[in-house]
Amino acid sequence: MNIATYARRNLFRRKGRTILTMVAIALAVLIFSIIRTVIYEWNRGAEEAAQDRLAIRHKVSITMELPYKYIDEVRATPGVTKATWANWFGAKDPKERIPFFAGFAADQNSFFDVMDEMSVDPKVLEEWRNTPNGAILGDLIAKTFEVKPGDDVTIASDIYPGDWKFKVVGIYKPLRKTVDRNSFIFRWDYLNNSDAVPPPMKDKIGWILARIDDAAHSAQIAKSIDAKFEDHDDQTSAMSERAFQLSFMGGFTAILTAFDYASVGILLILMLVLANAIAMSVRERTHEYGVLRAIGFPPAHIVGFIVGESVLIAVIGGLIGVAMTAGLINGVMGPFLEENMSGWFPYFSTPPYVMGLAMVAAIGVGIFAGALPAYRASKLKVTDALRRLD
Amino acid sequence: MVPVSYNVRSLLVRKVTTIVTALGIALVVFVFAASRMLTEGVNAAMATSGRPDTVIVLRKGSDNELSSGLPMDAVAKLRAHPQVSQAAGAGAIGELVQVVMAPHEGGSGEVSNVTIRGIPEDGIAFRPEVKITSGRAPKPGTNEVVVGKAIAGRFKGFEIGGTVELRHNRPLSVVGIFDAGGSSYDSEVWCDREFMGQTLGRTGNVSSVRVRLNSASDFEAYRREIEGTANKDFAAKVQREADYYRDQSAQIGTFLKFIGMFFAIMFSLAAMIGAAITMNAAVAHRSREIGTLRALGFGRFSILFSFVFEALLLAVAGGVIGSIAVLGLSFVTFPMMNFQTFSEIVIRFHAAPSVFIWSLVFALVMGLIGGLVPAIRASRVSPVEAMRA
Repeated sequence: MNIATYARRNLFRRKGRTILTMVAIALAVLIFSIIRTVIYEWNRGAEEAAQDRLAIRHKVSITMELPYKYIDEVRATPGVTKATWANWFGAKDPKERIPFFAGFAADQNSFFDVMDEMSVDPKVLEEWRNTPNGAILGDLIAKTFEVKPGDDVTIASDIYPGDWKFKVVGIYKPLRKTVDRNSFIFRWDYLNNSDAVPPPMKDKIGWILARIDDAAHSAQIAKSIDAKFEDHDDQTSAMSERAFQLSFMGGFTAILTAFDYASVGILLILMLVLANAIAMSVRERTHEYGVLRAIGFPPAHIVGFIVGESVLIAVIGGLIGVAMTAGLINGVMGPFLEENMSGWFPYFSTPPYVMGLAMVAAIGVGIFAGALPAYRASKLKVTDALRRLD
Repeated sequence: MVPVSYNVRSLLVRKVTTIVTALGIALVVFVFAASRMLTEGVNAAMATSGRPDTVIVLRKGSDNELSSGLPMDAVAKLRAHPQVSQAAGAGAIGELVQVVMAPHEGGSGEVSNVTIRGIPEDGIAFRPEVKITSGRAPKPGTNEVVVGKAIAGRFKGFEIGGTVELRHNRPLSVVGIFDAGGSSYDSEVWCDREFMGQTLGRTGNVSSVRVRLNSASDFEAYRREIEGTANKDFAAKVQREADYYRDQSAQIGTFLKFIGMFFAIMFSLAAMIGAAITMNAAVAHRSREIGTLRALGFGRFSILFSFVFEALLLAVAGGVIGSIAVLGLSFVTFPMMNFQTFSEIVIRFHAAPSVFIWSLVFALVMGLIGGLVPAIRASRVSPVEAMRA
């Protein structure tokens, strides 16, 4: 019998305890991976925003609108190739089948040209231009409303009073996963011509989206757009699409920080569970370690046994955890979130680096958890250890 | 019944194991309690904002002040009803509400949306709970503003002597800081309504009207008069202020509660396994003791109960440590987005008594689940075999 055999046999001397410990580690690795995946995917959604597009909004507030003529000035800015605009409608479902969805009024001639990750059939576009109250929907919202092209649909608004009747002319197809599939898009001129919009609110646009010729110059182009309106009453704030999205999502930074702490918290719990299990095993075997020392094994060997056992449990538990992560997050939870919460998480899968990080963390916890019991066992006097019976 | 002191001493003998296991439980309780404190913080901020005798009137179809709009003359019309208190500092006040982008203090480049409320002259008097804690009240008709204590210092210019730009070349100047007793007003900037209306081109219009009734029981009668067909001037929605704020907080509250419960349950799985390991070891070590107890005449149920009790004791120790540690969070604030208005509201971790009751219950459930299987094993120890071992 050699040292490896001794360590291996020790591992399963208390089968129940070892298995429970491994399960705890596997669970902790899974939870750690879920938390880190949320943080990772939250940031990725915004990173996938188009680099060659700028969003231009009112400098003061997201609820304040810009004069209609600004669109022409933006289009005339050097570096801007195309531009379109849209107005937030504050859409609500009168039947409350969905708590929140993006409803906005957009320009039928340029919107889908600039937002080319939303693909619309040219025939549908043609029909939209001929249908003043036409609307183009995302596939998910169409499913929720149980409508198909040709149907009528009524929605309400938080901003504009009354019932709003639209005719569904088509469904846009998302070409990228980050495209919201719950958007309800209708014609801006239909909104602007409506009696529900009082005269001071007419001829206003909510935000402008501009495609630029070179993504590398985006900061410079944004600056020159803002400079154009510097002396106007309504100043603009031009920014990357990512910054535009973050200006709505900014309130979530604190949650992400809390998630960061939570991922450390689960590692601490993991450490306590593992350290406790190892300390208990070591105490039970104190007598044996005394025997090993008495027959000539040096203290370093005892440390090796104990830390090695701790790391081995951590590695096996960690591997099970990573396998669970791959199966559960990437196989079940991810697809579910992508399908049902695509607005929040267009992608949800654990990247390999998070799995690697989880394994490194598990091994680190294994070393730390074994260190103290190992140190104490190695410092024990042989005579004291032999005298201990349990 | 096995005496309680037996369990207490057993836990004290295995000091390290007991402490380590209790700490594991304490960590989970900490996470659980922290999330509940945050949810309570949302409730506290929203609940203290609403008074039972006050109603808020919005345009019909609007869910919040930001998207609502009523004609200015509605204020006087809403006041001229028998149910409305005409006392000083009561009556009806019409206000403008807007969110503005504010850059964070410290040059991180981050921005948040902050609520600006344009109040009439009697706007502060209408809310007796609001105190100016430093500086002074703004002079009516000027560009002077006061800033809520939760956001003072959080954003650039949000301090006495600082300025906030509302529109090009039309800065607001901060002259004071106010404390609204932890309500959501603490995350707002209050400025003069007329100044704000002129600056934003919203004269002749208010976002919302608050009306103080003679008593809370007048609400139904008042609502019927305003929402009924007799009122042809404007389409309005009348809500109790408390109900309005409850709706406002429902979404963030649910969101935080969901995330908190998710973490707490996941974490508790790991900690329960920790407790099970500890109790299993305790049973294995003490099989001879258990045999002796059985031989002395203690029944299976006494043994079962004794070990479950020991696990619960361990859990309570963890629960108490976790609860004490989490009290430290009372001094921490947590900025969060109100989904309805995209604006920021600063929440304080709120140590409500119910938080600690639920934390203890949560710890006990963890102890029970972790300790039950080992306790059953203990109760099955045969006295003869145990004593022979």
